[in-house]
Amino acid sequence: MIEIDHLTRRFGNATAVDALTLTIAEGEVFGLLGPNGAGKTTTIRMLAGLIGKTSGEARVADCRIGDPATARKLRGLVGLMPEEAGLYPDLSAARTLDFYGRLYQVPAGTRAARTERLLTMLGLWDRRDDRVRTFSKGMKQRLTIARALINDPPVLFLDEPTANLDPEGAKTVRDFLLQLRGEKRTILLNTHQLAEAERVCDRVGIMHTRLVAVGTPGGLRGAASARATSIRLAAVTDAVVAAARAVRRAEVTVSGNTLTVPVGQPERDNPELVRAVVAAGGDIQFVSGAVPSLEETYLKLLDGERLDGEKSDRNDKVAR
Amino acid sequence: MNWQNVATIARKDLTVMMTRRSLRIALAVLPVGLAVLFSQIIARGSFQRDSLPQTLNAFLFFFMIYTGALPATIASYSLVGEKIERSLEPLLATPASDGEILLGKGLAALLPPVAAMWAGMLLLMGLCDAYTHATLGYLYFPNWMAAVTVLGLAPLLAIMAVGFSVLWSSRVSDVRTAQQIGTLAAIPGAGLYIGAVSGAFSLDLATLAVMCAILAAVDVALALAARAVFRREDILTRWA
Repeated sequence: MIEIDHLTRRFGNATAVDALTLTIAEGEVFGLLGPNGAGKTTTIRMLAGLIGKTSGEARVADCRIGDPATARKLRGLVGLMPEEAGLYPDLSAARTLDFYGRLYQVPAGTRAARTERLLTMLGLWDRRDDRVRTFSKGMKQRLTIARALINDPPVLFLDEPTANLDPEGAKTVRDFLLQLRGEKRTILLNTHQLAEAERVCDRVGIMHTRLVAVGTPGGLRGAASARATSIRLAAVTDAVVAAARAVRRAEVTVSGNTLTVPVGQPERDNPELVRAVVAAGGDIQFVSGAVPSLEETYLKLLDGERLDGEKSDRNDKVAR
Repeated sequence: MNWQNVATIARKDLTVMMTRRSLRIALAVLPVGLAVLFSQIIARGSFQRDSLPQTLNAFLFFFMIYTGALPATIASYSLVGEKIERSLEPLLATPASDGEILLGKGLAALLPPVAAMWAGMLLLMGLCDAYTHATLGYLYFPNWMAAVTVLGLAPLLAIMAVGFSVLWSSRVSDVRTAQQIGTLAAIPGAGLYIGAVSGAFSLDLATLAVMCAILAAVDVALALAARAVFRREDILTRWA
């Protein structure tokens, strides 16, 4: 549904998106993670046909981006929820959806039915005739989701849909995203919220101008972080720490009464580790696999990317 | 060009505009107020029979210059207002083309003030006829001069004000600044008036026709410049 091949966008000398290559299948929910300025919004704007590309290719719903002949068709097949709500404060919720529905050439009957369905699903139907300026931030955010869906698009681009929302508002939006996932739409979601990406997305990509890593949230965690075993003891002694360190010859971290020891193969290494800890007088209460969070994975991958960038800059300077 | 999109955008802008009390008041009070004021000056002044036609023409022209600031005010609200509300991006994400959005917004900024201007001019002409009929012995309005002013110069000046506002709206980020700059669009009209009053040229039918031709050329140039400025790419990446 979305095929991106070395898509690049430069603004003057600055590269916002660098040779992005990615395929997102029909019905897939893909999360783009990255810090501010990583090029996520620029990517969405290019794919939605709002701004041009510097080089590379991309196809969205069989429309080639940057092709004037299909630009109007492309925008008609895409739903966009930008980072800023961008609603008209003096229009009501119903008038807002009617206005956008008309621009998407949605027939009047369908427009009215879809407006009712979306506003009802998002809990705004009772406030349909109220001006948007009277809405809370969460209500406005829900209305922008409804606006992005008024043309029933097969492809949906969501740019930070839960940014600046309180936990309750964020949960409402997240629950709706899970509902959308069930409708088999292709969704590209830009977010800072790693927990949200983990819950909602089939795959995530970590972006820092270029794509640093891509995979399922679980796969990415496994690939990026070394596996570790956590051992909770009645008490941690120097002898126990020394024994664990002697077995794995690795950095052992202690947090309260828990030891975390990096392991290569848990099936092979854990029995030896446990025997050594017990032999050193350790009273083991629990043994579990330490799974790194997506946040830890994300930060580790971005740190690696930054180090690579600095190394590359140094090499460039030496070469010059 | 999808005219349905143009009409949808114009209708939405008109709806949003009409929710603003200051704009409603400006559209209703300014033309009517000026028409009453000018006609009262005619009614209470002691004008010679020979100089009365020239005074009436000048008042009609002056009326047009004053009300010519209204389209600039509305166009500034329409474009800079959308910039402030960040509502241009979702609008640009729709299938509507840049030209359709620009034309829709331009029409919304143009139609209400031109309609208000015409209503005010009709009122002014009617009141002036009522007050001067006894002195002149005939109804001065309507006449060809008035027809060219009302139907030609006034809309052309309004189009110029809108084009000028679109250009400035891409550079500024607050409505007041855009409005203040937009009112500068009235300067050419005022310059023509001063030129006529000072005797540089006479305010006759031929002069008005030349003015219309010049304004039409300026309007075409401004429309092309506005179209060049109003591009999705530039709006999202360069507009402040």
